[in-house]
Amino acid sequence: MVVSAIQDARTPKSWREETHHVIQTLLADRFMACLPQQHISAMHFSLSSLVLLGISSLVSASSLTITIPASSPLPNPHVLPATSHATLTSLPSGGKDHILSASLTRSATFVFHDLPSSGPDAQPESYLLDIRYAGDYVFAPYRVDVAADGSILGIWETFRGNPWDNRGAEKYIVDVAGKKQIDVVVEAKVLGRKVFYEQRAQFSPLSLVKNPMVLIAVVALGLMFVMPKLMENMDPEMRAEFEQHSRSSPITGATSNAMAGGGFDLASWMAGTGGPNPTANNAAQAGSTGRDTSGPARRRG
Amino acid sequence: MRLQAALFFAACLSPAAAIYPDEVNHIDFHHALLGTPSPDSTFFLKPSPASNASLLYTLSDKLLLGAVNPRDGGLVWRQNISRSVNSPAHGVGLLRGLDGNDAVVGAVGNYIASWSAQDGKVGWENRVSEGVVGDLELLELEDATATSGVRDTIAVVASEGAGIVRRLNGNTGKTVWEYKDTSGDVPFQVSSSSTEVFYISLQSAMLKGFKIKVTVLDPLTGQQTRQQILNTEADVATPESVLYVGANSASPIIVWTDKSQKSLRVNVIGTKEINSVTVDNTSGSEIRQITVHAPRKLNALPHFLVHFETETGAWAEVFHVDLMSAKVTKAYQLPYLPGQSAVAASVIDANVYFTRITDLEAVVVSSASHGILGRWDLQKPSSDIALHSVSEVVAKGKSVAVRSALFRKHGDWQLIRNGQIEWTRHEGLIDAVAATWAETDAQEDLAHELEVEGHETLYGAYLHRVKRHVRDLEHLPDWLKDLPKRILSSILTDEVSNLDSFGVARSVIVATKNGRVYALDAGKHGVVSWGVQAVGTSQWNVKAILASPGVATIYSDDGSSVTVDVFTGEIVSRIEPSNSKLHSIAVFEAQDGTSLATVGVREDGTPVTAFANEDGFLVTTSIDGRVLGWFAKDNKTPVWEFVPPSGERVVDATARPAHDPVASIGKVLGNRSVLYKYLNPNLALVTAVNEQTHTASFYLLDGVSGKILHATTQAGVDSTQPIASVMSENWFAYSFWGDVDGSESSAKGYQLVISELYESPFPNDRGVLDSATNYSSTAALPLPHAISQAFMIPESISHMAVTQTRQGITTRQLLCTLPSSNSIVGIPRPVLDPRRPVDRDPTTAEAEEGLFRYAPFLDFDGKWYLSHTRDVAGIKAVLSRPTLLESTSLIFAYGSDIYGTRATPSQAFDILGKSFSKLQLVLTVVALGAGVTVLAPMVRRKQVNALWRA
Repeated sequence: MVVSAIQDARTPKSWREETHHVIQTLLADRFMACLPQQHISAMHFSLSSLVLLGISSLVSASSLTITIPASSPLPNPHVLPATSHATLTSLPSGGKDHILSASLTRSATFVFHDLPSSGPDAQPESYLLDIRYAGDYVFAPYRVDVAADGSILGIWETFRGNPWDNRGAEKYIVDVAGKKQIDVVVEAKVLGRKVFYEQRAQFSPLSLVKNPMVLIAVVALGLMFVMPKLMENMDPEMRAEFEQHSRSSPITGATSNAMAGGGFDLASWMAGTGGPNPTANNAAQAGSTGRDTSGPARRRG
Repeated sequence: MRLQAALFFAACLSPAAAIYPDEVNHIDFHHALLGTPSPDSTFFLKPSPASNASLLYTLSDKLLLGAVNPRDGGLVWRQNISRSVNSPAHGVGLLRGLDGNDAVVGAVGNYIASWSAQDGKVGWENRVSEGVVGDLELLELEDATATSGVRDTIAVVASEGAGIVRRLNGNTGKTVWEYKDTSGDVPFQVSSSSTEVFYISLQSAMLKGFKIKVTVLDPLTGQQTRQQILNTEADVATPESVLYVGANSASPIIVWTDKSQKSLRVNVIGTKEINSVTVDNTSGSEIRQITVHAPRKLNALPHFLVHFETETGAWAEVFHVDLMSAKVTKAYQLPYLPGQSAVAASVIDANVYFTRITDLEAVVVSSASHGILGRWDLQKPSSDIALHSVSEVVAKGKSVAVRSALFRKHGDWQLIRNGQIEWTRHEGLIDAVAATWAETDAQEDLAHELEVEGHETLYGAYLHRVKRHVRDLEHLPDWLKDLPKRILSSILTDEVSNLDSFGVARSVIVATKNGRVYALDAGKHGVVSWGVQAVGTSQWNVKAILASPGVATIYSDDGSSVTVDVFTGEIVSRIEPSNSKLHSIAVFEAQDGTSLATVGVREDGTPVTAFANEDGFLVTTSIDGRVLGWFAKDNKTPVWEFVPPSGERVVDATARPAHDPVASIGKVLGNRSVLYKYLNPNLALVTAVNEQTHTASFYLLDGVSGKILHATTQAGVDSTQPIASVMSENWFAYSFWGDVDGSESSAKGYQLVISELYESPFPNDRGVLDSATNYSSTAALPLPHAISQAFMIPESISHMAVTQTRQGITTRQLLCTLPSSNSIVGIPRPVLDPRRPVDRDPTTAEAEEGLFRYAPFLDFDGKWYLSHTRDVAGIKAVLSRPTLLESTSLIFAYGSDIYGTRATPSQAFDILGKSFSKLQLVLTVVALGAGVTVLAPMVRRKQVNALWRA
């Protein structure tokens, strides 16, 4: 209802008013563009689209060209394969083409010739623009608003998973002063690259060395060879103290026992059963001389 | 349960098991197909004036335009023109290329475009508003305006009552000049010589037949210079009667015959004279087809060859045109040979060569004399009829080499180089309508023997078993002989373990629309092991294909079926068609899961037969959009009927897959409580759309009682775009194009909705079922508690499937076909968990469960792409099948291209992958052994010393 009222009353006065509104809403849009996550009120949107509709009948059907600029993620846009295509999609209405497709050209652009137009009473159509192909570069989706006569009202970046009214950076907007621009050119934006393949771990000696198992083995070996040297250089009193200290610890005691030929039952020790290691305990009780320690070992041997 | 938890954890750590670069072409295979190449739109061409090697270009009957590398048959580039053509396809397309031009120009319907010959990118495109493009030629002649490497195009547009000839600029596609013929003649073709452009139209004669009218145009301005009308009404009855119109030749010709095919009529375009040559038919049988082969190059000699085919053989005659007098004389004849033959013309500089390929040999002759320059015996004579060929001849001194791309009737496109078949492209696979994995009976014998043992007495079973093992000993020498080779190869080769015995290498049986059945060996990169013509129709409406050990049966919509042997392709048996047309085929599995029975469903949804001794039920859809439930014993009256609300139309119905094992009946939450899954094997998900209000409704029905368990409606749905849905275990998913529906927060884009069904909303609670061990669909069936979440996805999904594994322990992947980026993506189920917390971070318990924060936009991670960077076009269905390895599921996709791969949704946890190096393992063991032998004496000495010191 409101739509027809504005269209019918295209007097100079109302025209000025409309222009005024347009500027206001455009400013609002620009402001909102800086805050893409913000909701734009439904009021603003409906107002701007209504007013833009008033202007739209003045311009004629146009073409849309999307260029792919060289950017840091995509230095050479000509590497894109021939199957790359841009698609404009919307809900079907009034027998218009609601899915338009354009293939990649030799100059790395997508060209939509003659955007669909319908009768002057029709609503403007809002399309989602996607660029896709079976490859790794990902492009930002755009929102393309096309008037009933096939002229472009505006192009904005849009954000998937956000309300449709939530527009991002403005790529193109119809000139309010009435300057007709039939062929609209906008630049596509590369968001990034997809990684399709898992990288296989390469074999390198360094990675072998970094392996914790290997590290433990190296440390153990080092201890085995370095410790006796350290012990020899040690003060005799400290050595005695250290030996006594190490015997009281079940593991080292057991290991030394095992190394001395004793039978250490690892299974029962891990099971934590009462007297798992009589040799170690006995050894600790028996005293700190090497002679006593070797006693049970000899008994077993 | 613990294993499952571990697997789940693994899946969360790396949400997808992506393909490794060295597995490409190893675990997957891809047939990138074009379809049947059109005879006059297929040619060898150098992609740019600078390049030495040429590519093979074609425009197929599927309106796929592509360039094939003649060296290996690989696809260089491909364009789907049918996407660009607004109007439904107008017959075949046209494709023209010219040496020295870096673009090929094609036209289909009202669409005409130029593509870079090198990489297939669009140079320019045009849509003709007046009508359809009737003919197309590239203008070879150079004039002052032409730049090197770019040639202008002459196109004939047939609009109502008028023919328009246009010259289009080679760089921009803009019209240079236009000539309009409003005389009402039938626009026919366009041709050109070195100085003139000819517009050929057919003028209706007074009584019947057509007169050929040639209008000569100035190539620079498009002005008509003169006009000639040939009195051909006695011979030319229809436009098809004209056999050939040459172009880009020093003296282009028009060839037709008289009605009785006794004499050949040849006119050099631009002259009035009609040469008549008697056809020297010595074979005695009727001529079936006449084809003319002439060079299409300005500086080539004006020679041409006419090929005559009869039912049993073929011969060819070579003619020369005198440039001055425009007289046509017969030069020599290629002899009559029984069997089929295909001829192609090729040009080197000015010399013209003809290549003739018969059933047994390939022969190259020069157009100047009848001496045979080269003759090769075909290595593998084929019984398949050769339809047409294109050739490229290379002359080296006196000898020549030739390669010919030969298209055979059964859909094989072969490149024959000097008699050897270099490659074969099975273009017939493009029409694949149904596929299934072949069942082999390798394990069948063993299972049978074990069964025998199970039924015998203890002593008898023991004897039987000993005998069996003794029998097995006969394989021992072979096994021992193979052993060193196996050990060596398993250490040295990439493939760590041969997985063929785990059901990974299976054949796939594919049925195509034109009545052929193929077997592809998925274990050998999808090579075609056999192909047979099962039925002699071009519209084989296959409804189902079932495999049982050793054979596969293909059911058609007319009630007929064909059973083929899966190893040889031999047709085992046939069932003749019945009189009723079938809408679908339902498969009944017997209780023990061994035998399969089928029942046809008519278009009104009634089953054709009833099963007296089956207790099953049947859910059918009728062509008018009703869903009906039946007992297997009764095919007269349905048990229930589901009709969607008025205005809605049922578009799809889906059920759980036949093989859908559930590893766990509940979902363990972070706090060790359990949410019980609603596991009903009789579920059906019905999709109904309303085109007026742009809504789509999804109804979850119980198949036995017809009760609606869950229903949901989505607004702003485009019903013309694909709405895919799938169901498995206790969840279902669907996707659609969702548009702004008026509410403030609505978005525009493709959406994917996932719903999970639980017995109750509370953990450790089974709702009304409580401790019941079973429940009945006919008694009080409890309603499920559905939890749903919707995601915005970057593109449309045309088909959905779910990966299947042997036990269902491995996490599932939702297999989605993406038609606009020609890919197949497997979305891991943990990502699509509808219990992901919204607008807050997960709690510790939720995080332990593997849930992470919900985000409305679900971007497809590159690692989810099963097809990685391959361009897998036109996929209509994706099949999944379990293997003996729990981690691995086989994937096969068909429809236009053929693609097969293996999916490992939770990574290949039960396979030693390529990263596992046996060599390294052996070296480690050797190093350890060496270390032990070195250290052992040291330790022993130390122990002895310790004893002595004590």
